[in-house]
Amino acid sequence: MRMGGGSGRPGGARGAAGRDGKGGPRKKFFVRRRKVCKFCAEKLEYIDWKDVKLLQGFIPERGKILPRRISGTCALHQRKLQTAIKRARSIALLPYATD
Amino acid sequence: MRLYDIVVLVTPDLNDEDATKVAAEYKKVLTDGGATVVKEEPWGKRRLAFPIQRKRDAHYHYWQVQAEPAAVAEAERRMGLSDQVLRHLAVRVDEELKRSAKMAERLKKKAAKRPPRPAPTAPAPEAAAAAPERSES
Repeated sequence: MRMGGGSGRPGGARGAAGRDGKGGPRKKFFVRRRKVCKFCAEKLEYIDWKDVKLLQGFIPERGKILPRRISGTCALHQRKLQTAIKRARSIALLPYATD
Repeated sequence: MRLYDIVVLVTPDLNDEDATKVAAEYKKVLTDGGATVVKEEPWGKRRLAFPIQRKRDAHYHYWQVQAEPAAVAEAERRMGLSDQVLRHLAVRVDEELKRSAKMAERLKKKAAKRPPRPAPTAPAPEAAAAAPERSES
């Protein structure tokens, strides 16, 4: 037997929570994908400063080093990545800054 | 003896042959100092990420050498004095490689340890199934 309102929505009486049409407990609107350290995932232990292609992935347009909070790199690998990028910069494989 | 990665950037004003000759001079300094060349890769003429001395390209020469620190220091000193060398970099890599090899091994061991875990759970239901039979009999 249906309760109140006759709206016909499954689980209708729940108000705002029912608005997403599923009637389940309200989920966060954005489901964030968990970031995983690239080097941990691929088991690359040695970050080679000569591997420009790899390092370029951590250099946004401006030429700065991509922060850990965005790339998801773990602390250990970020440190290694940092020295690798700096070495590559010193012999002009990577830019210090670009406009 | 230690393992080094060495990169030399030679002026683009020279042609390929002369540039390799210039680079070979420094290689000779290293080998005279008792070094052995492990790897040698001429990367050729590459575009620089930013201009150095108004130049936009350079001849890159890379070696991996097993050398005494003194020999590397001498080669670096001479590179610094030369006008034909735009930049140079020598990095000791043996310790870092050793450490990463160790880490890789540890990871492998960990991975090898992991698969047996589902195995003890698999025979468990059989044992559970066997137990009631025994109690019945």
